[in-house]
Amino acid sequence: MAKILVVDDDGDLVAAISTVLEGKGYEVATASNKEEGMAKIKEIKPDLAILDVMLSTWQDGFEMARELKGDEGLKDIPILMLTGVGDKTGMDFKSETGDAEWLPVDAFLDKPVKSDVLLAEVERLLS
Amino acid sequence: MNPLAHNAKLVKQAYWLIRLRWAAVVGVCFTVFMANRLLDINVQVVRLYCIAAVLVCYNWVFLVLVNRAVRNKRSDLAGFINKIVNLQISVDLIVLTIMLHFSGGVENPCVIFFIFHMVISSILLSTKESYLQATLAVGLITLLALLEYKNLIPHYCLVGFIMRDLHGDGLHIAGGLFIFAMTLYMIVYMTGTVATQLRKQEDAFRQANIQLEQKDRLKDEYVSRVTHDIKGHLAAIHSCLEVVDSRMVGPLNEKQQEFVQRAYARTCKLADFVRTLLKLTQMRLNDKFDREVFVLSEMIDSAVASVKTRAGDKSITLSHSFEPMVDKIYGNHFSIEEMVVNLLLNAIKYTPEHGTVTLNVIDQQEDILIEIVDTGIGIPESELEFVFDEFYRASNARKSECDGTGLGLSIAKQIVQRHCGKISVESKLGQGTRLAFTLPKGGCAKTATHSL
Repeated sequence: MAKILVVDDDGDLVAAISTVLEGKGYEVATASNKEEGMAKIKEIKPDLAILDVMLSTWQDGFEMARELKGDEGLKDIPILMLTGVGDKTGMDFKSETGDAEWLPVDAFLDKPVKSDVLLAEVERLLS
Repeated sequence: MNPLAHNAKLVKQAYWLIRLRWAAVVGVCFTVFMANRLLDINVQVVRLYCIAAVLVCYNWVFLVLVNRAVRNKRSDLAGFINKIVNLQISVDLIVLTIMLHFSGGVENPCVIFFIFHMVISSILLSTKESYLQATLAVGLITLLALLEYKNLIPHYCLVGFIMRDLHGDGLHIAGGLFIFAMTLYMIVYMTGTVATQLRKQEDAFRQANIQLEQKDRLKDEYVSRVTHDIKGHLAAIHSCLEVVDSRMVGPLNEKQQEFVQRAYARTCKLADFVRTLLKLTQMRLNDKFDREVFVLSEMIDSAVASVKTRAGDKSITLSHSFEPMVDKIYGNHFSIEEMVVNLLLNAIKYTPEHGTVTLNVIDQQEDILIEIVDTGIGIPESELEFVFDEFYRASNARKSECDGTGLGLSIAKQIVQRHCGKISVESKLGQGTRLAFTLPKGGCAKTATHSL
């Protein structure tokens, strides 16, 4: 079964998302910040990374995504980014989705995420 | 005072002065004509008409100077306009004196017209400048009286109007001049005092307004920060409850299931509310707004299509018409489309089954008008003025639908205002509501230059 890495500084949210994913049989690893996330991603080479836009600081999620896509060995791992409209950045992520240079992620989902929506998106990205 | 607003005010006053002078030209010509033709008074008609012509010429020069200064956006606009206004008033005083000379000198009752100039100076100029203008006026009139008294220049008596020639009567002249000077200085003093007070009040109001805006911004920042934190916790609660509710972590008995579901439903509503509130405050805080040219008809089609099923669920007839010849519009595509969708959903929500919801796009020369008309429950007349207020929900709306944040129309208003348009609502209780907003065809550009 596919391996998924969930990186979010909100432990409760990570627990919930992991449970949902594990319920579907995915193998889930978690990390709570960018450094830990980068280390885990190199170690386990997941099939998908789910990142929060804001880890400890608001740009960490962005930076991690850029770093991943800039790394030869890791750039093929699809990234699903969790955001909220009106996050501190004030940006509207939806209208920017097509701009791969600006933010190289494969999909966005608004928080709070419904489990069926999350699972559908995960399946789509893994296929 | 904000320098831009200050400049705009000065320019407005300069134009006002120029307009007044056009009126003065008409007044001079009319008076000369009446005095000469109808009252048969002996006036220097040709010379006075010539002076009126001079008045026209220099007024035109001032108009050109002010226009050019405004167009070139001079860096020292305020100082330049102030100089122009000073110069205009001084030239006016000289011309008025010459005009008096040709129409009876200080005997002409038109000498009181100097009062107008003093009032205007006191309003437009600084205290010192207006006293200087008053001194110039007194000096000019004294000079005129002296020159005529000494017979150094001729005296043109207003035969047929003034019975006794007084220009050689020293005592009369001296007394008249004294009272004239007193009057001018008193006028400058009194008008100046009132004008200064008004200016101070105006500044105080402006200051207060700036402070209010700053406080409002602080409030928005505060709300945004708090809401954002709430949203984070809420997202976690929501996800955790969902895990339990969907029995991923084991079965629940019926009662447990019911209460988890109740809690879950409430977090959904709260999340919705928080998301909308965040969006509104972010919009108010964020001055940046991406704009692009987009095709309005396509946007309308897509907005209508996205609410079709919702209308179908209530058997509501949903129709739309499109009139404008100009189809391209400059603005934020995403927010306008989202707003139209929300307004349509709102109309559908408050319209009973088998009603109608119509969207019309109408061409209005400068703007495009978009109206959404429904046959819904309507809004009580006394509450119409509040519907764009944040968190406001009409009493009948609260009764018929418990869902709703009271933020939808505030957001719509923000979006329309960002596009320099206007939004309005009309409604008859029990019959329906018409919500209309305009979008300027050229975007905000035209309006922005107008506001200077």
